[in-house]
Amino acid sequence: MASEKQGLDGALLETFDWYPVAKKEFRDAIRSKGLWILSFLFTALFLLPAGRALFLGENIRRDVAEVGMQFFISSAYLNIVTLLVPIIVIFAAYAAVSEERVSGSLKVLLSLPFSRRDVIIGKVVGRSAVVGVPLMIAITLTGVFFAISQFQFKFDVFAWFTLFTVAFTLVMVAFVVSISGAMSTNLRSLAGSGIVYFYLSFGWNSLANWIGDLLADYLGITGALRWNVVLFVKLLSPTQAYKTLTNSMLGEGSGAATTARYSMFRQGPESMKTICADVLAGNPKTVQSMFGNRTVCESGGSAVPFYFSDPAVFLSLFLWIGLAAAISYYTFDRVDL
Amino acid sequence: MPAIELDGLTKRFDDVTALRGVDMTVEDGDVFGFLGPNGAGKTTTIDIVLDFVRPTAGSATVLGMDAREESEAIRERLGVLPEGYDLYGRLTGRQHLEFVAEAKDADLDVAHILDRVGLDLEDAERKTEGYSRGMKQRLALGMALVGEPDMLILDEPSSGLDPNGARLMRQIVREENERGATVFFSSHILGQVEAVCDEVAILQDGQIVAEDSVEGLRQATDTGTRLVVTVAMDELEAAADAARGLDVVEGASVEGDELVVTCDSDAKMDVLTAIEDEGIEVDDFETREASLEDLFAAYTGDGEGPTATASDTGTDADASDAEEGDA
Repeated sequence: MASEKQGLDGALLETFDWYPVAKKEFRDAIRSKGLWILSFLFTALFLLPAGRALFLGENIRRDVAEVGMQFFISSAYLNIVTLLVPIIVIFAAYAAVSEERVSGSLKVLLSLPFSRRDVIIGKVVGRSAVVGVPLMIAITLTGVFFAISQFQFKFDVFAWFTLFTVAFTLVMVAFVVSISGAMSTNLRSLAGSGIVYFYLSFGWNSLANWIGDLLADYLGITGALRWNVVLFVKLLSPTQAYKTLTNSMLGEGSGAATTARYSMFRQGPESMKTICADVLAGNPKTVQSMFGNRTVCESGGSAVPFYFSDPAVFLSLFLWIGLAAAISYYTFDRVDL
Repeated sequence: MPAIELDGLTKRFDDVTALRGVDMTVEDGDVFGFLGPNGAGKTTTIDIVLDFVRPTAGSATVLGMDAREESEAIRERLGVLPEGYDLYGRLTGRQHLEFVAEAKDADLDVAHILDRVGLDLEDAERKTEGYSRGMKQRLALGMALVGEPDMLILDEPSSGLDPNGARLMRQIVREENERGATVFFSSHILGQVEAVCDEVAILQDGQIVAEDSVEGLRQATDTGTRLVVTVAMDELEAAADAARGLDVVEGASVEGDELVVTCDSDAKMDVLTAIEDEGIEVDDFETREASLEDLFAAYTGDGEGPTATASDTGTDADASDAEEGDA
């Protein structure tokens, strides 16, 4: 009965119930002209900073050349990824389920032997692959540009950057697909994903600080506990988690995680000292600069607490996969179509 | 083991009760017609069988398995043509068939399936966004046939099909049944169901009004067959008497300037002959088929009995297909 298929395709068919859905999604979405245009624009924008690195003046200083790639990634690429990738993801995935619900093709899909979970997983994988094509082209070309620029190309740093970016993209796709499964129309799905995107990108820090203020003003919770909570909330945002994780990787060194977490805060000198010493287990130091006194945070004898360490932040990215799964379970798995 | 067993199936949506305690058994190997007007709850019933919708009360067992708990295993063995479905416009016909075959882990002979549903290989290489409604319906029917399913569930399968397509669809139903598949077939068109089914259930307002063999249905339908005869005005009463003299005639009455005779559909010629034998010239005649509503009346005993509505001299199913336009 079972047809014999060869190679990777056959192996994937054998192993994963959701694989036909993923394949169908990819075949279907890859034929969308709008997505092609968007992918092209995305790739062009992604390549701009790396392109600039190619045309820097002759003979840049050796110490600049050494960290130049990291500087570009930290100053340009973290913002490009966190602002542009979600837009591509939203356009590639907001209609993933809602469109099928509206048109009625969901009836065809679910009359086949797929569980609703298979459908969601297949769509997340398929749409991730659709976003993955322009993303990997853009990242690869960026890597090539850096490699031929005067900057020192650090393969391991670039590989970690790629891994974190892919993880961030996957999380966003899972989230957008789960919203799509929860909404009855495409427009609602687009609005839902759009609102979450804006909030994550531009509102999350305010939310975290607001929670901190509430704790201080109404519950009298101040000092280390307050800032622990604020940092915890900040890291719940996949955007913030991705940025600080990549920054501490780019920092290359034992104190990099401390510096990366510390730089997520903009508070007064007293608070900054508390954050450095009591939240991140570092040594606060006041340094003179052009703009007056500034508190910097050096890594102390011990590293940051494990719950704020890089592996913990990496895992917290995947909390959003869990959130997406929960949304799908309650709004798609268990409901009448 | 019955192919489908529904037990006290009730479904309430927010403020609408779609099904009110439906009990129904579809025997293995039957071609089962599920008849009812639009809005009676046919699609809701099928949605529960496929686990698209969960019942408020009662249970559905399909191929011996619980429709909720073992839905995937059930759908592994079903071929489904849903109602109000759509295809993937950017994928070709062939890709649709391949997708179904992959989902079911089944062998696929694209040319054979296309041939059965009356599409050619050229059509299969085109994206389905360019298909007509009828071509989409043929492809969807072909998708339901992939993998030789144990049961076919066809929800209003002839919608969008021209009479040729409807005939092809009935032929496929017969072929699949001969292969051993159970066919569960919903329709709001009497002639469709009459033409292919062994057993019939009639659903109205979320309740099963009748479950019967197709012969039983046919008798009920015949009750509603009326022969309308036009003769000269002064001979109407004499013609009515002539008709009443026959055993096969249940009633004859003068309505306006017409004589309306209720009889078995086979007896129409006998009636006309009897009238002419009295020396009365028949100017014109037509048979009026019973409508679905008449049939409910015949089964439930509601109302004033069958009233003729559709005016048609043909009683074959293809003529009924034409009714779909106003459905």
